[in-house]
Amino acid sequence: MSEATLSHEPLSIDALLELDAHPECGGLAMFVGTVRDHHEGKTVTALAYTAHEPVAARVIREVEAATRERFGVPYCRVQHRLGALAIGDIAIVCVVRAPHRAEAFEACRYAVDAVKHGAPIWKEEFYADGGSAFVEGCCIRDDFDAGHTHDHDHARDHASA
Amino acid sequence: MKTIVFELFANLERLAGTAECRVEVEETTGSVGEAIAALASVRPELAASLERCASAAGDRIVRRHDALPADGRIALLPPVAGG
Repeated sequence: MSEATLSHEPLSIDALLELDAHPECGGLAMFVGTVRDHHEGKTVTALAYTAHEPVAARVIREVEAATRERFGVPYCRVQHRLGALAIGDIAIVCVVRAPHRAEAFEACRYAVDAVKHGAPIWKEEFYADGGSAFVEGCCIRDDFDAGHTHDHDHARDHASA
Repeated sequence: MKTIVFELFANLERLAGTAECRVEVEETTGSVGEAIAALASVRPELAASLERCASAAGDRIVRRHDALPADGRIALLPPVAGG
């Protein structure tokens, strides 16, 4: 379970903390994303996450490795939930262990943003008015023709912020 | 002619009404981009959405100029929520 990057079952935070490891680390930063009850003025009653699982798992593994390399931290783990979620359910967990808090916070934010912007995991929202929609804010595609103005640069800026 | 199988996800799947779309292309079709252009021409209602999709083969992202995957399967990945 703790090795999985994607889970169709509720996420377990404790398994990711590795508090009994990494004696060189004096910091643990964690982000937990939960399902909120509104989006652009609409009341959200539930969500469904779907993914291209092989690519999503690879992207998450690559983000974990890039985060360790970029921030010099020994441990970074990200798990994303898939399937039907209720308000308040955990959608994503990211844990970073680091020698000091500054790089722990920075690395955790970087990893969450990079997964959110790069992994093919789609959020379908279900609204109180009976409607539903996929939220599409960020292109994964990165090979637009030159001169083509799209939001991929925006996504990349976020991923590297 | 040869067959390309497109795997559709999320909103693109809803728009097409199917999770899989088979398209016959010329033997000379060599790149991912050419295959996607062929899909756009037979399913014009998808064309605008295809522009915004990343493409993947197996567990890897492929670009439009890349050669067609050997198994003829291309996954089309629409934009994600991001926020």
